Amino acid sequence: MLLIIPAVSLRAQDSILIPLKLNAGIDLSGPVIYMTDKNNLNAEGFFSADRNEKISYVVEGGYSRFRYSQYNYDYLAKGIFIRAGADFNMLEPQTSKGKYRAGIGVRYGTSIYSMETPSFSNENYWGSVTSSIPQSTRLGHFLEVVPGVKTELFKNISIGWSVRLRLLISAGTGRELRPVHMPGFGNGGKSATAGFSYFLVWQVPYKSKMVIIKKEEPEEYDETDEENFEP
Amino acid sequence: MKKPGSGLIKLFLAGGILIIFSCTPEACFEETNSFLKASFYNNETGKFQAPDSVTLFGEGRDTIMIYNKERNLQPANFPLNAETESCTFVVRINGVSDTISFFYSSYPAFISKECGYTFNHILESHSVTNNIIDNVIIRNRNITTSNEENIRIFY
Repeated sequence: MLLIIPAVSLRAQDSILIPLKLNAGIDLSGPVIYMTDKNNLNAEGFFSADRNEKISYVVEGGYSRFRYSQYNYDYLAKGIFIRAGADFNMLEPQTSKGKYRAGIGVRYGTSIYSMETPSFSNENYWGSVTSSIPQSTRLGHFLEVVPGVKTELFKNISIGWSVRLRLLISAGTGRELRPVHMPGFGNGGKSATAGFSYFLVWQVPYKSKMVIIKKEEPEEYDETDEENFEP
Repeated sequence: MKKPGSGLIKLFLAGGILIIFSCTPEACFEETNSFLKASFYNNETGKFQAPDSVTLFGEGRDTIMIYNKERNLQPANFPLNAETESCTFVVRINGVSDTISFFYSSYPAFISKECGYTFNHILESHSVTNNIIDNVIIRNRNITTSNEENIRIFY
C-alpha cells in the first residue's frame, strides 16, 4: 500500500514585507556622451510606479538633438519622444527585497521630430550632383524590449542600466527618406537598433505589501522507498 | 551570505564596457547609384541572351566608356544624370551602333547612415534607333539601387 504524504497541504508559508515605490530617474549616458560628442544630445528621464513586487508601470520621455556629417552629406534631427510600458522583475521577493531588480521591460515609443539634410552629394558617370532635403516634421513609432538591472545604492537612491532593443514600426517618412537618426529610436535606416541607458533613480515608498514566500520544500516521503530500502 | 546587490553592481559596471564596444563606426558596402538595368534578348528566339560584345557610353562622352567591348554582359547598367530629365546613350552591340534616350524624373533617396543618399528615378519614356536594336520594352519604371530589371533590349 502506498502512503504518500500530501506535501502541498503541509508546506510551511512565510512572508516578507516589500515596499512598493514611486520612482523618478534620469539617464546619465546621454549627458556623458554629449561631453565627448557635442553633435549628439540626448536628455531623458522616467517615472514609474510599482504595481506589486513584480510589475512596474513606466513612462519615459526625452529630447534629442542629433547632427551628423560625413564626406557626402550633412544631417540634422531634433525632437521629443515618449515611451510607455512596464518592467517585470524576475528576482524572487526574498532576493529583491524591494531594492534590487533584474528583469525585462517592454515599451511602446513615439517620436515627434524634425529632420533636414542641408546638403548631400552623389557621384556617378555624369559627375557629382549636390542637392538638399528641406526640413520636415515627422511622427515615428517603435517598440522596445528592455532587459536590465537596478540596485539600491543608498536608501531610496538606486542605479541601474538597461539594454534597449528597438524595433521600428514606422519612421513616418516612407521608405525612400528614412531618418539617419530618429529621436528616441536611433538609426532609422535600420529596422532594429540597440541602445543603452544608465540611470540614477530617486525612490519614494508609498505602500508596503506583504508577499507570501515559499520555504524550501522537504522532499516527498514515499513509504515504498522505505520498503525497498536494504541496509 | 553574499548580498544580491553586489552582483548587480558588477553587472552595472559591465554595462560600461558594452557601451564602449557598441560605438564602432561602420563603412559603406552598399550600392550608392541607382542604375537603369537593361537585359538583352535575342529578337529571333525571344530568349535571354547576352551579345558577343557591348560598348556603351553617354552621347558626347565617347572618351569615357561605361562598357568597352564587354563580353557576356547581362544586365547592362545605364547611369542616369540626376541633374537633367533625359539622357542619351550610344549602345554598340556586336559592332553596330544605336542610340537610346531615356526620359525620367529624379528624387533623392536614403541608402544608409554609412552611405548617405542617392537619386532614384522614375522612367517615363524612351526612344531608340533601330540599326541592331529591334525593340525596347519597359519592365519596371522605378529605378532604384535594387537589382530589378527595368528594360529589355531585343536585338
